[in-house]
Amino acid sequence: MLGTDAFASLAEAAAASLGMPHLQLVAVGHPLGGIDPKLARAKADDVVGRVIAALTEDPAPPSAAISPSVATRVDAPADIDAFQDFALAEGWSDGMPVLLPTEERVGRILGGLAARRAEVIAILAPRRGVATLEAIAANAALAGAVPDHLPVVVAAIRALADPRFNLNAIQTTTHPCTPLVIVNGPIAPRLGINGGANALGQGHRANAAIGRAVRLVLQNVGGARPGREDRATLGHPGKYSYCFAENEAESPWAPLHVERGFRADESCVTVCGSEAPHNVNDHGSATAEALVFAIAGTAATTGSNNIYLGGEPLVILGPEHAQTFATGAWSKADVKRAIWERARVRLDRFSPANRVRFARIDPARFEDRPLAEEVALCTCPEDLMVVVAGGPGKHSAIVPTFGATRSVTVAIND
Amino acid sequence: MTRLRVVSPAGATPGEVRPPAPRRGSLRRLRVGILDNSKPNADVLLERVAELLVERAGAGPVAVWRKPGASRPATVIDEVVAASDVVLTGSAD
Repeated sequence: MLGTDAFASLAEAAAASLGMPHLQLVAVGHPLGGIDPKLARAKADDVVGRVIAALTEDPAPPSAAISPSVATRVDAPADIDAFQDFALAEGWSDGMPVLLPTEERVGRILGGLAARRAEVIAILAPRRGVATLEAIAANAALAGAVPDHLPVVVAAIRALADPRFNLNAIQTTTHPCTPLVIVNGPIAPRLGINGGANALGQGHRANAAIGRAVRLVLQNVGGARPGREDRATLGHPGKYSYCFAENEAESPWAPLHVERGFRADESCVTVCGSEAPHNVNDHGSATAEALVFAIAGTAATTGSNNIYLGGEPLVILGPEHAQTFATGAWSKADVKRAIWERARVRLDRFSPANRVRFARIDPARFEDRPLAEEVALCTCPEDLMVVVAGGPGKHSAIVPTFGATRSVTVAIND
Repeated sequence: MTRLRVVSPAGATPGEVRPPAPRRGSLRRLRVGILDNSKPNADVLLERVAELLVERAGAGPVAVWRKPGASRPATVIDEVVAASDVVLTGSAD
């Protein structure tokens, strides 16, 4: 296995998670991408001796120090301030204060599920960590969640393990993405999951704790530690917590989960591997046709993953913008098609090197096309996701995704 | 300092360790497979290493497979394994 020294921790963790801690990494100096191929060849010349040795000599047996088994009970400082240092040293914290996951608190969060605490909900990449109900509840306890939040977190974890989500890539990529948790159905108002004013912002415990618990499960059970296996170049603030409810009461259309075949009275979570939201300010447009301009203009960018990897960019319409479309008698499908038709980038806006690279990845959209032609923000209009959230005001948001991922919707049933 | 028993939020891992494949001592006439992870320049690095394995250690022939994209899982692993004695692959960037 070859890689660069900057990414050695990820390569070694990947080998260990597959039961091959002895697999030797031959690391070359970072970077490899973006350099003259002659220099890349020279790096090969430097390491070939080590490659030959790795292929011909028996590897040393793995040391006990990298044994992956972990105790499920740990003694920790009872003092809340001392516990912060302990949690950071253990790699359990996201940097914000965490609460002690005592057996009592975890038991309270499990509630009626305590008898099923060992039940495996998912195996999470990259560590192939076993997300039992108890491990999920321990992270919910760290995050400050209450017992009622647990079923939402559990459903989100189940959704994240769906192969279509491509969790291993989402967890380890340099791209700034993290699971965005969208909640639909009656559970949202019951738990106070905000979908109204400041839906993507602070101030609501359910949004904060559910999103944070999901993120901590991914870090602690999934083993995506920042700067180690989580290789995000920049990350984004939603990696602390990224959860909102759809504002179904103010949406003129069927909500996301109904669009995906669930009943309106079912409660569901949808997870998307999402970037941070980018605002669309349009106070001037009073018709559906006019409003498409600003939304499409904000969505069509040269540096987006979706434009060459596909996937499902998300449009979060503020209720007033949604109403502007509804007043024009546009269906949600009409909105998607109109945005898709206008959110285009001319091929000559991409650098020649990127055109070559993108043509290799998506020949149908990038290969041998005149430079005056355009590509759409994603592969087809149906791949655009549209939900309604937020309060009064003339703003919406574009949320690009990782691209090589599909959003997954599951019912909340625990 | 008072200590409390807490539930580890890390959970467990399957914990299995697979034995490494036995090494053969020499690469002479061994089939070299390259599984290119399709990161930029991974093909250049891996193909040059394979070229040097042929030159310096008598390995060969060399065959190349490419992942459909760096962020997508490899779907050809069984095929690569069946057609190769040793495999070179890239991880991450």
